[in-house]
Amino acid sequence: MSFLEFVEGPLFAVAAGIFLFGAFWRIVGIIRIGRKKDIAPPKASAAAGFVKGNLRHFLPRGIFAKRTAVHIIAGYGFHLGLFVLVFFGAFHVEFLNERILGFAWPTLPRWGFILASEIAFAGLIVLWVRRISDPVMRLISTPDDHIGSWLTFIMMLSGCFALQESHEMLRAMHMLIVDIWLIYFPFSRLMHAFTFVLSRGNSGATYGRKGMNL
Amino acid sequence: MQYLIHMSRKLLWLGALMLLLFAFTAPQLMAQSVRPPGNAVNLDDGTEPGPSNALGDVSDTEIWDQFRGGDPANLLGPALDGQAMTTTGQQWRMVRENLIRKYLGWLPLIVIGLLAVFYLIRGPMRISAGRSGKTIPRFSHNARLAHWFMAAVFIILGLTGLIILLGRPVIAPYLGLQANSILTSAAMQGHNLFGPLFIVALVWLFIKFVRGNFFQLVDLKWIFKLGGFFGSHVSSRQFNFGEKSWFWMVILGGIVISATGILLLFPWLVDDIRWLQLSTIFHALAAVVLIAVAFGHVYVGTIGMEGSIDSMLKGEVDENWAKEHHDLWYEEVTGKSAKEETS
Repeated sequence: MSFLEFVEGPLFAVAAGIFLFGAFWRIVGIIRIGRKKDIAPPKASAAAGFVKGNLRHFLPRGIFAKRTAVHIIAGYGFHLGLFVLVFFGAFHVEFLNERILGFAWPTLPRWGFILASEIAFAGLIVLWVRRISDPVMRLISTPDDHIGSWLTFIMMLSGCFALQESHEMLRAMHMLIVDIWLIYFPFSRLMHAFTFVLSRGNSGATYGRKGMNL
Repeated sequence: MQYLIHMSRKLLWLGALMLLLFAFTAPQLMAQSVRPPGNAVNLDDGTEPGPSNALGDVSDTEIWDQFRGGDPANLLGPALDGQAMTTTGQQWRMVRENLIRKYLGWLPLIVIGLLAVFYLIRGPMRISAGRSGKTIPRFSHNARLAHWFMAAVFIILGLTGLIILLGRPVIAPYLGLQANSILTSAAMQGHNLFGPLFIVALVWLFIKFVRGNFFQLVDLKWIFKLGGFFGSHVSSRQFNFGEKSWFWMVILGGIVISATGILLLFPWLVDDIRWLQLSTIFHALAAVVLIAVAFGHVYVGTIGMEGSIDSMLKGEVDENWAKEHHDLWYEEVTGKSAKEETS
């Protein structure tokens, strides 16, 4: 078994298993914590507040819009760019089709993949640079935040390095880092990819039940 | 008589030696000959098909000279009529191999060496009055984002670019051709992908920093006092002459790198290959010069000058640092006199 076969085969299976089981475990754990019982009579629907809280946070608050414009653009650029290149990149769809799902869907042309990558890279760099150059962000950032950012960056960079498909080693390195990223994911703040729904929803439900205008 | 016998023996030995040498060298000499036997080319006897005198009476060198034509010394010279081959490719290769690759890579190393020597002799430039504990804002958060975004992209492009340029002469001899091939392939993809981000970073940097970076008369004092690096105090506004020069080097060098980079990424934009050949040369030249000077920028911004890094990390600088290095700017933003405060 070659190194590439190992990182794309058994190691990937283990990493994906840890990712899925770990993420599920943590989400269930958060939900099981539950919420403190509110004995006050509800003034509005908590469920509507949950949904509204989630949707409202996709847009910046008016008074902060100008101040936060750069990192909001960077945030959207990175997350949407990463989503597009992971799920619509031809290499990724081919891998998922052949190894896991058994079906495929339309993919981006190469120029679209490159463009999405560039937007994602630019966004991630700006977000991390903000983390080190904003005194408040620097203060509240933990090693986990930096490791998550760097691991994601290295994963994307190794994928970019393998774009020419000229050497198996480059693809193997990318897959190795993907495996490490998948294993690290459930134990880190990268989990915000799933937990943001619960976090925003919790705030939205709390305020919604009190009848506050979100 | 004995003398004659002695001489005869010597001549016999010499003759035998000559025969032996000829026996060994004759096949090689025959094999190296570019001239086929006369009967192989001049077949005008009607026994075999094909034109007579196929190779003609001119040497290979003359044939290729006629093909090439043109002035080999003129890289930009227009192609002559009837010219089947240009020499610009060879000229470009010679410049790239014998000048760019051979010497340019040393420039960053020389700068690092000079900085190390300077640091050992001069040491870090301390804030002579010590830190006051009071700070004043110097750069906005967006300006810092623009700076660090450019820095990040610059580092990635610099590393990948140096691997592409110097991989063959520097990496291959030590790690092998296969390792160099892998590294170069990776570097090329990374360089091509991050290249367009450099243009974005350059525009952002220009917008955020152009104000205050135009040269002024006060900069002459900075030049005459060698920037204060050798003791004497020198006045300056928000940016001193060194910072302004660096800013314009980045902008102008960045424009050259961006324009040539675009041509190299999209070669079909031009129909003359000489533009692409020139692009590789100017691209490498501007990039390596910027990389070399960037080491100086990093030195002054970190270990070379106490308190400098605060401006880009926190956005604020110590008041005494501002009075010492940017006194006119300090007076402008605080309305206080820098001299009175420090004395």
